[in-house]
Amino acid sequence: MIEIQHLTKSYNRKVALDQVSLTIPTGKIVGLLGPNGAGKTTLIRILNQIVLPDSGHIRFFGDVMKHKHLDQVGYLPEERGLYRTMTVEEHAYFLGQLKGLTKKEVRSNLEYWLDKFEISSWKSKRIEELSKGMAQKVQFIFTVLHEPKLLILDEPLSGFDPLNVEIIKIELSNLKAKGTTIILSTHNMKSVEEICDFAYLIDGGKVVSSGSVSVLQEAKKEGIYAIKFSGNMIAFVTALWTDFELVDKEVLNENRFLAYVKMRGDAGFEALLKALIGQVKIEAAWEVLPTMHDVFIQTISAREEAANA
Amino acid sequence: MRNLWLIVQREFLEKIKSRSFILTAFFGPILLLALLFFLFKFGDSGKKHWDVLVTDPTGVFEGKMLPNQDNAVSYFFLEDYVEMEEFRDAKMYQKFDALVEINEKVLTNKTAFVFYRQKPSLKLQTKIQYQSERRLEEIMVKRFTKLPLSSFRKIKQPLNVAFRNVYDPYDESSDVRGWVGYFYGLLIIGFVFLYGMTILRSVSQEKSNRIIEIVLGSVSPRKLMAGKIIGIGITAIMQLIIWILVVAVGLFIMREFLFQNSLNLSSMVTVQMTEQVKNTSLLDQLLQGNEQNDFLNLIYERIQFGTMNFYFVLFFFASYLFYGAFFTAIGATAGSESDGQQFIIPILLLLVFSAYSGYYCLNNPISNLAQFFQYFPFTAPVVAMVKLALGYEPGTVYQLYLSLLSLLVSAFITLSIAGRLYGNGVLQFGHRIRLSLIIRWLKRK
Repeated sequence: MIEIQHLTKSYNRKVALDQVSLTIPTGKIVGLLGPNGAGKTTLIRILNQIVLPDSGHIRFFGDVMKHKHLDQVGYLPEERGLYRTMTVEEHAYFLGQLKGLTKKEVRSNLEYWLDKFEISSWKSKRIEELSKGMAQKVQFIFTVLHEPKLLILDEPLSGFDPLNVEIIKIELSNLKAKGTTIILSTHNMKSVEEICDFAYLIDGGKVVSSGSVSVLQEAKKEGIYAIKFSGNMIAFVTALWTDFELVDKEVLNENRFLAYVKMRGDAGFEALLKALIGQVKIEAAWEVLPTMHDVFIQTISAREEAANA
Repeated sequence: MRNLWLIVQREFLEKIKSRSFILTAFFGPILLLALLFFLFKFGDSGKKHWDVLVTDPTGVFEGKMLPNQDNAVSYFFLEDYVEMEEFRDAKMYQKFDALVEINEKVLTNKTAFVFYRQKPSLKLQTKIQYQSERRLEEIMVKRFTKLPLSSFRKIKQPLNVAFRNVYDPYDESSDVRGWVGYFYGLLIIGFVFLYGMTILRSVSQEKSNRIIEIVLGSVSPRKLMAGKIIGIGITAIMQLIIWILVVAVGLFIMREFLFQNSLNLSSMVTVQMTEQVKNTSLLDQLLQGNEQNDFLNLIYERIQFGTMNFYFVLFFFASYLFYGAFFTAIGATAGSESDGQQFIIPILLLLVFSAYSGYYCLNNPISNLAQFFQYFPFTAPVVAMVKLALGYEPGTVYQLYLSLLSLLVSAFITLSIAGRLYGNGVLQFGHRIRLSLIIRWLKRK
């Protein structure tokens, strides 16, 4: 478990992190969300000991985090970069040995990952010979080469085609299954919904919201239900009467619709179904949860409105 | 230490594998050797041997110029007039390089003309004039005096006033050697600039391609900076060693196979000159030598390469650390690669100033300013090399050590400052350098 306690960091009177405390459970994927300038990069750099905090500390699996623990951390920054004239293999030896691996360990781990991604032929290619996507893949391998206990990934999926996005997602799930703790900083909310167990929303250097993805979505839900039905749309609207409000609708084909309905007053889901049964043929009905994108927008907008008020 | 070594290793391997390193390491000294070869070969400024036709229609010179054969000039006599145009164009005169015209009134007007096809060197001009004058002297003593020639010469002998340095009576360290020191100093400046730029480019590139953030996730900024400077420094020293070795081997080959005769001759002449020094004038001594190459003599006989090379490497490394700190700081604080380039100009001016200080010291080696330049870290490497080449007076060698110490202490200070700027600036991108920003980074721990 990584415990971040009361971290504060300022750059010339501008507060980048303000008493940030959060916990990253072992073996989980935790999303770090927030608008640009929220303080995510500063937090990640402090975790990597690149920047020192003004106050606060980090406990790394029980110990106070020190420079020596960096051998157990893998870091993929948002701005990717590699030495252009070095070959993939030379690069792996350099970065792997920096993380404390022996040459033999680098060799076997590199072979494992290159085989896994079916890119063994790239081993002797220079970085400048690789396309952007190829270099991204190689950089991902370098990040996990030393089997870190903590993996910090800043926008890991950007720059990948959909096929490779899926491959990386699968690998992240595999690493999680092996017990690796993963911090994922991203603006890709869909990936947060899909792979994160937990998320922290940071804004203005503070943690403004946190919890499991479902809890965060639950907190922002608006009581909207989706009803897929076949029949007459006028009959459907008439049945809603005054207790329910039609928010939106989609025409699926000639007499099939998907309607979004919001409750008024104390009316519940059961009452809605009772009102509709007999009027239209209901095919499916479910509660609409906000996407993480909506959660993000709503939370940040609410803070901005509060600040302006 | 493990990571520092890895950084050093990476920098070193990357640099020595680069095409520019291979080109500079091998073609640089070969170019230098080629330059030396041309100086050796053609440094005697002109043709080796001259055939001179003497036209003496009245036979004043009696068909004779020198008692002995001269290696550089052969005289041929013709008791007839030859017009300049005729000498220039006629086929039969083409084998002669010059024509000395002795007219019938030469004993009274003491005037002769020399017509040449290619201008003779100053030394040869002096030689022809001197030999003609001596011959005329012989004839005039014979005709107009009763004195034996040897007595006349004794009377005519000028007073030879020899100026001697009490610390260097045999003039072992002359200005020429000072120039050698200056050349070493300029080499230091050149290499420092070359490798300083390498540091700057390396820092800027790591910043611009963002690899810096990954590496800093394993090593501290100071270690990364130190590793980079040491790695590139080792590359530079390796290149210097290659230069020294290739040049040494080249000089050896040239001495053994190409210029063996010239060197033997010059040694022989030196011995001969020592023997005759009591009886001959300064001009005699000068003209005793053949067209020997002073430069050849300087390189092979007068430079103490061992000492010079040893201190050259030491001073190079110290000044590389000192100036390297500036290049590192510029690379780390610049917002972009192009932004850093323009801040090179002040450093370049300092290096040019350093080169000038060496020239100043060459001309005024014992002035107070030269003393100051010797300890001033920006100018110390060039001035120290010039002073070393000129030779330290007994009991003053400590100045050389003091100069090196001053450079090393200054390097330590500038590296500490650069380290702070590096730590704070290396992760900042896309900004413009401002003085206030630099001061802020210097204050921040």
